[in-house]
Amino acid sequence: MELSESVQKGLQSLGDQTVLDRCSFPVVVDACFRSLLFSRGDPAVLDLPELKHLDKILLKQIHAAATTFILEAVKHNADKSTISFSLEELTFNTERIETFYTTFQKHKKDLELILSSIGRGPAHIKDVSWRLQYQMKNGQLDKVNEPFYLISLSTETGGASEDVDFSCTAEQLQDLVGKLKDAAKSVEKASQV
Amino acid sequence: MLLVLTEEHREHLSMLPQVEPSVVGEFGRIALEFLRRGTSPKIYEGAARKLGVSVEAVQQGVEGLMFLLMESSKHTISEVDFMDSVLILGFGEELNQVLLQLYQDNKVQIRRILSQLIPSQPAFHQLEWRLDVQLASRSLRQRLVPTVTMRLMLSESEEGQRSTRVLQTDPSTLLHLISTLEAALAAVKTSHSRRILRNIK
Repeated sequence: MELSESVQKGLQSLGDQTVLDRCSFPVVVDACFRSLLFSRGDPAVLDLPELKHLDKILLKQIHAAATTFILEAVKHNADKSTISFSLEELTFNTERIETFYTTFQKHKKDLELILSSIGRGPAHIKDVSWRLQYQMKNGQLDKVNEPFYLISLSTETGGASEDVDFSCTAEQLQDLVGKLKDAAKSVEKASQV
Repeated sequence: MLLVLTEEHREHLSMLPQVEPSVVGEFGRIALEFLRRGTSPKIYEGAARKLGVSVEAVQQGVEGLMFLLMESSKHTISEVDFMDSVLILGFGEELNQVLLQLYQDNKVQIRRILSQLIPSQPAFHQLEWRLDVQLASRSLRQRLVPTVTMRLMLSESEEGQRSTRVLQTDPSTLLHLISTLEAALAAVKTSHSRRILRNIK
């Protein structure tokens, strides 16, 4: 993995035993993962009592470098050897590599989920609701006497939900279901390849 | 059911027996054309000149005929009821037959034209689909996510203005959609629905 100079410097400070002792290291690593997963840009994520004795600016540099490294590792789906190799180059000892990697493994899936939600795409269908109605008469015609369906697809685009409503006859609904079944069949066939 | 014709309406139609039945047939054709495309005053003037009556009388005759046909089609009244309603006007037998013929020949078409006036919701027209697999994105470089992308075409109104929506779904939601819509299709075949469809006529 390619890392920029500032990231490398920050990680070196993270691995340096004169900067962070054995007790502070896991606290800092945990804080970095937490700020990616839970805190939603909470500025107080590094305001922990165990870290009070550290220089604030240095702590920020370490935090920035570590979070960048974590995201890059998730992005490229890095395996244990790649991560160990990169950290070794930056003078991490085996114990610290182990601690970092275990925490990484624990949170990897959640980080992937967060990264996958970034991006655009067409509206995503979440659910469908339907209603069967019988039209008897209207303002222009008596004796219409036809059943029809009202279908509502609830879709979501980037957090905003929208409903797509339309009406159709029973034959049209049959046609629609037939096409959806074709799509499902082709998904199944593709998954067996 | 019998049609109730107002005084004014009967007055307008009273000019019909004064002309020959073939002319009434012609008026009928004009009336249908107007229902389809909208009125055009020039035709009134032409007909008035040919028959030697006032333009107003022609207009009233044609419009009265239009209204008669529209109301009859709206309620889909039977032959017997139509004849009974027309009998009140006191026309001759031949004229009544001409009117009945006009009604029967064009009932379906008139109903279709009237249905265009109803406020309509977007109606389903077509669905196209395609299976996609996402391999990578800017934030994640190794992915394998199958999605089904669909293009749903709806017609907004009777004239056929189409609107197109591009939608996406994942395979499990697709299966859920299929099972829900199949349940919807089954709903029209239940005994409850059948009973209502049979009895409300």
